[in-house]
Amino acid sequence: MEVTTGFRPRTVPSDASRGARMRFLIRIYLRLIGLQLRTFVEYRGDFWIGMVGAALLQGSSLVFIGALFSRIPTVGGWTLWEVALLYGSTLIAYGTREVLCDGPWMLRATINKGEFDRLLVRPLSPALQTATLVSSIHGIANAALGWTVLLIAAHRVDLAWTPWTVSWLAVTVICGTVIVSCVAYLANIIGFWEPGTSSAFPFMISNLVELVKFPLEIYGWLIRVGVTAVLPFAFISYYPVLVLLDKDSSVRWAGYLTPLVTALMVGVTAWLWRKSVDRYQGVGH
Amino acid sequence: MSASLVSVPTRVRRRNKYLGLVDSALQQAVAYRVLALTGIVGNMLWIVILFAIWRAAFADSGTIEGFTWPQMQTYILLAYGINAMVGFSSASKMMQAIRQGTIVIDMIRPLNYLGTQLATTLGLAIVEGVISFALTIGIGVIFLDMQAPASFWHSLLFLLSVGLGFLTKFLFVFCISLLVFWTTSSVGLNWTQTALVNVLAGVLIPIQFLPGWLATVAEWSPLRGIVSTPVSVYLGREDGIDLLLVLGLQAVWVIALWCFADWAWKRAFRAVEIQGG
Repeated sequence: MEVTTGFRPRTVPSDASRGARMRFLIRIYLRLIGLQLRTFVEYRGDFWIGMVGAALLQGSSLVFIGALFSRIPTVGGWTLWEVALLYGSTLIAYGTREVLCDGPWMLRATINKGEFDRLLVRPLSPALQTATLVSSIHGIANAALGWTVLLIAAHRVDLAWTPWTVSWLAVTVICGTVIVSCVAYLANIIGFWEPGTSSAFPFMISNLVELVKFPLEIYGWLIRVGVTAVLPFAFISYYPVLVLLDKDSSVRWAGYLTPLVTALMVGVTAWLWRKSVDRYQGVGH
Repeated sequence: MSASLVSVPTRVRRRNKYLGLVDSALQQAVAYRVLALTGIVGNMLWIVILFAIWRAAFADSGTIEGFTWPQMQTYILLAYGINAMVGFSSASKMMQAIRQGTIVIDMIRPLNYLGTQLATTLGLAIVEGVISFALTIGIGVIFLDMQAPASFWHSLLFLLSVGLGFLTKFLFVFCISLLVFWTTSSVGLNWTQTALVNVLAGVLIPIQFLPGWLATVAEWSPLRGIVSTPVSVYLGREDGIDLLLVLGLQAVWVIALWCFADWAWKRAFRAVEIQGG
């Protein structure tokens, strides 16, 4: 008997071409994300409250920026709308990740309950399954707010829409999303070492993204080095925006490294992920 | 059945039931002190950000909107410390109880629900408040240019105002959390609550900086009592009749919110819908 779900779950033979495998993975990934998103539609009231709440919370720091710049023309050599570009690009990356890769935040609970076993016996990469453990629909609100802020800011700073700026903006947004997704994995794989359900550590790590909503000029060297070389949050917003604005800065060249840094980040995350999964011992049942 | 089992001591030690709840919440917070501490340190990131931004802003000008740089540093630190007393976790506790249905325990207790929640929040606030105040004042005095209270009287009134501010935030969060009876989800409401407090209480920026109409709303809203009023008193920004007026407004709002909250929870209990169980 055949059950029609509109989707035929099949594994791709190992001798399938790289392209076919890739298409299969993308398809199943989108399926899994779609499945998670659909659970939100079940509670329609909650859906809207979540969206409004997420937008309000981000909006509150926008009010702060607006109020601050109503008294002072520039901070660290950056105007209101230039800072808004930083804010917008960070928020887009953050919101998109909440939709596409929020699963790592469920990792510790999954390990703690021994449910990670389930992921390991399925014929699909555990990393991909982890990404789709959950998808937070309110990320759409954050990303939409981010795009709104970014587009208004781009208009206010008289950004010329050329093929170059458009493609660089695309690079910025994609790299930013990948970087914050990597951070989500890195912050939460601590669960393989310390499988307690409640730890504020991952939250502390990922919360550092708040720093790069503002120009690095305002910080001391410790924070600048930290968000550049240790956890490269600054490549979500600050460095690529330097390039986008063609801003007169001695570190603008670093902006061109954004894709490279992103690739490096993916490599490090993948390596650490494999090491961590190897450590997994189950919880004994 | 042996007689000893049914013999009830004639005089049970009469301990205030609400104090018992304060005590148990306090012990719970102490038991999870590492979690509480990391949460507090994690949230201190905003102190770092605000400090960096204002330092850059004050690099060009001596005073902004009547604030000197040392005053602004004091504002940032106190605002954070006071606001942390009723933190995100206290709010989620109240909301989760309603969402997950453990509220039935509270419903069958022969106690006033508003009172039990106040007691639990107070227990948590004592631990979290002590930790975050000690940290902020420690950092403020050692690393930053934190100012002393304007005068001895100002420091006494500041403590009074912090107490009223604690009640204001508790009552506000309590009322918002009652909405979970209808929405059955909490996280969006908790964000909304945080956002409103961030702006209208003056957590992120003193309310004097807000754009015209929003500043007027913030000036008269109950939320200014949470952060803005106590910190203004500490800094000595209010004096004489103005000082009495802001404290009076704070007290009036506490009474009004209390009356509303006391009516609202009784109304909400009629709408209760426990999921599953």
